[in-house]
Amino acid sequence: MPTFGAMVGGVRHVVARHLHRRIVAVFLGLLLLVQAASFFAIRHGIEANARRDIDAGMKTGEALLRRLLAQNAQQLREAARLLAADYGFRAAIAVGDASTLTDALQNQAERIGADVAVFTDPRGAPVAATMADSRTVLSMLAADAKGDPAMRGDTGLQAHEGRAYQMVTVPVKAPTLIGQVSMGFPLAATLPADLRTLSSLGVFLLARAPGGTWQPLAIAGADAPDTTLRAVIDRDPAVASAEIGGESTALHLAPLGRNGEREIAALLTRSIDAAVAPYRELQIVLVVITLAGVLVFALGTFFTARRITRPINALAESAARLASGDYASPVPSAGADEVGHLARSFESMRVGIRERDAEIRRLAYWDSLTGLPNREQFRQLVKDRLVIAQRSGDPCSVMMLDIDRFKQVNDVLGHGFGDRLLGAIATRLQGGVLREGDTLARLGGDKFVVCMPRAGVDAAMSVAERLCAALQLLITLDEHTVDVSAGVGIASFPEHAATADLLLGRAELAMYSAKAKQSGITVYHPALDSSSESSLSLLSELRAAIDEGQLRLFLQPKFSLASGDASGAEALVRWQHPRRGLLGPGEFIPFAEQTGFIREITGWMVEKSAAKYALLRDRGLDLKIAVNLSTRDLMDLRLADKLERTLARAGLEPSALGLEITESAMMDDPERALATLQRLDAMGHTLSVDDFGTGYSSLAYLKRLPLHQLKIDRSFVMGMETDRADLKIVRSTIDLAHNLGYSVVAEGVETAQTLAILRALKCEEAQGFFMAKPMFEDAFGAWFDQWSKPQTRLRTEFAELM
Amino acid sequence: MPRPPRSFFLCLALLSGSAWSATFSVAVSDAAGKPLEGAVVTVSVAGAAKVAPAGTMAEMTQQNRQFAPRTLVVQAGTSVHFPNLDTVRHHVYSFSPVKPFELKLYAGTPAAPVLFDKPGIAVLGCNIHDRMTGWIAVVETPYFAKSDAAGHARIEVPDGEHLVRVSHPQQADGAVFERRMRAAPLAVRLAFTPDP
Repeated sequence: MPTFGAMVGGVRHVVARHLHRRIVAVFLGLLLLVQAASFFAIRHGIEANARRDIDAGMKTGEALLRRLLAQNAQQLREAARLLAADYGFRAAIAVGDASTLTDALQNQAERIGADVAVFTDPRGAPVAATMADSRTVLSMLAADAKGDPAMRGDTGLQAHEGRAYQMVTVPVKAPTLIGQVSMGFPLAATLPADLRTLSSLGVFLLARAPGGTWQPLAIAGADAPDTTLRAVIDRDPAVASAEIGGESTALHLAPLGRNGEREIAALLTRSIDAAVAPYRELQIVLVVITLAGVLVFALGTFFTARRITRPINALAESAARLASGDYASPVPSAGADEVGHLARSFESMRVGIRERDAEIRRLAYWDSLTGLPNREQFRQLVKDRLVIAQRSGDPCSVMMLDIDRFKQVNDVLGHGFGDRLLGAIATRLQGGVLREGDTLARLGGDKFVVCMPRAGVDAAMSVAERLCAALQLLITLDEHTVDVSAGVGIASFPEHAATADLLLGRAELAMYSAKAKQSGITVYHPALDSSSESSLSLLSELRAAIDEGQLRLFLQPKFSLASGDASGAEALVRWQHPRRGLLGPGEFIPFAEQTGFIREITGWMVEKSAAKYALLRDRGLDLKIAVNLSTRDLMDLRLADKLERTLARAGLEPSALGLEITESAMMDDPERALATLQRLDAMGHTLSVDDFGTGYSSLAYLKRLPLHQLKIDRSFVMGMETDRADLKIVRSTIDLAHNLGYSVVAEGVETAQTLAILRALKCEEAQGFFMAKPMFEDAFGAWFDQWSKPQTRLRTEFAELM
Repeated sequence: MPRPPRSFFLCLALLSGSAWSATFSVAVSDAAGKPLEGAVVTVSVAGAAKVAPAGTMAEMTQQNRQFAPRTLVVQAGTSVHFPNLDTVRHHVYSFSPVKPFELKLYAGTPAAPVLFDKPGIAVLGCNIHDRMTGWIAVVETPYFAKSDAAGHARIEVPDGEHLVRVSHPQQADGAVFERRMRAAPLAVRLAFTPDP
């Protein structure tokens, strides 16, 4: 997958390559389009113009031809008139015989260059002719006579025997009219030559008999139509243009005359190519101008596009630098135009990004609340420290703290207060407690962490103790005085972990363990870690212990202080380990609580206790057995159901089993614990609070619990004889319990005097080594049988206190 | 030239006259009814000489490049002189069958007159001046006259019934008025219009 930088690089490349060319291509394309359009328009105009020129030339040529023909006829007529006035000719006509007359005509015709001459009387009847065939002469005369004068004009044009003639008729006077002489002149080649000279037109004369096709008339000395033109004439000469002799030729058919038999017309030709030739040169010039324009335009566009794309490329490069994380190089500004504006926008974007980047880094690596390094930075720091430690062979420890009951502080005093408290705690932690080189960080929430280079477990431990001591000094904030304590976990490199993450994780594990045990400071050991190898094997061994019956139910009797008889028993567990022998609860219960396996053990205990109760009942003993519930059990929503099922199987009432809960077990999630306890109470179980006095539960909370019994912690009971304060606590607790309607059990009774004091204090029950140690269940029956009440007497010193 | 239809208009008026002689008074008009000058009127009288006595002479001059008179009426057998009164020479000719002749370039009066012995009309021209045209009408009766500018002609004839002919020498087809009648005033309208 391409990186952003590579993509920007690609974009820059594309911009450089394509925008530039595209601008040139678009503008050149448009120019070419316009040029092509104008070129074709001009070409069209030129052609139309040429066509008009040709048409106009044709009309002029036609008029010219008529004029030439008329002029010719006029000249011929004048010549004929002169000849007709010749005295000798007139004498010959007037007095001569027919043959003389014919000779005279012949003579005159030869003089003037006429092919034919004929003399008619004043009425038009032929008298003599030069041609022997008088019919021919007659037909020509008749044609001339019948010819449409409007059409014929003054040309006297005649067609005869495939040749073109001009016929003129002049009167012969002697001195009055004695007749007319008509003379026929073959059309001279000078006529087409003149026309060509004057108008660049070729001319061919055509004749057509009615219903027939056009036939060319020969003109002596002039070119006859070539075969291609001949073909056109044969087909239809009345077309605008045709291909004649390999040339595109314009044609124009001009009717010149009509006589009774024939139509006569002139076919004018004009080479279109020749007519267009001057325009062609103009077009070539146009093409040259166009090409030169395109070249100049291409160069202009090229350089203009370069001027645009160059700053864009520079911007693209700046963007690429930004993409690669280089926010230091300023974006070069480029003038006052749009690109310059864009560059300035880029620059302000770069500044903004740089500032935000710094802010993000700060947020990413620093805790905004306390100003301490955050988890990410701390993790990196630990990594670096471990590398150094590895190199020097020194240890390196990590200590993690979690402030106790911070959640309650937050809930009760508000988050603002909580935040300020965290700040105050951070200040406190930094205040001279740490060694030189130790680093404090906040992991979020109420967790703090300290990295201690060159500190083994012992050094870390001493730091931790100093730290806890510092914390325990009251913090006064906003007129509230807060008692701060923390659970502390310590893990050390290389003893507990080889990597930073593992080291942190194990310190955290140790911390949770410390909080669970409320033991202040805990150093990591593998048993804490459910995921460690030894833990895994321990877990599987525990499982095996249940499956293979390695667990043992022990019972420690409780005694009624009023009667001195055994009133019940607390169920305890031992593990008959196949290799390690009999293990006490401290060896595996904390681990079971951590891993959740405690639920299995509780289930086992309930089952065994129920069975034992049933067994004892059968012997006539009603000894209520109390089972301890852990935090996990309280959080287990199915606990009540499971208890109910187990008791039902054993055929027992719920009152047969008492349930003991530690204060701290309830405090993890008081509401949920309350719900479970209420359910159990409703079922009929007797509920008692274990280790009363060591936890932190408020009386307000205790008041809400459906309790029946308080169990005073052994630490108070055992010190009662020597420590008057403990005695006062025990007495107050018993009074408190009684006032709340609870019965009281004292545990840890080890002397007769203690027992006597408790009795004097109206404590209901007692439990302890003085009366009986925990015993294997099978031994319980025998013990009970040989049990005798101890005799106790309260010493006078205590009697005074009562 | 359109050919006019042949038509005659005759007006007769009885006039008293002497027993031995009578006068034909003819008023000639052209096709348009206008008086016609130069019309030739002849009366054929039985027994009268057809040919003029030898030595009868007449004269047609050329003056101002014109024949004068333009029309000359003579009896057959009359010799006509053509005196040239102009300073330029003339070449008078006639190709008419009545009397083809030619008087080559001359000045003054040619020595020999031209004898007109056959009846008919001779058209005269000049080879130098094409515009000169003259007519000589040769008749076979001594009783003839030429209408004046008013179209009038008078001929004294013996009493009796005679053949009257009226024609105009320029009338190409020779259309004439002919009637046998006694002398009387006569109005003749010829189907002819002279050239202007």
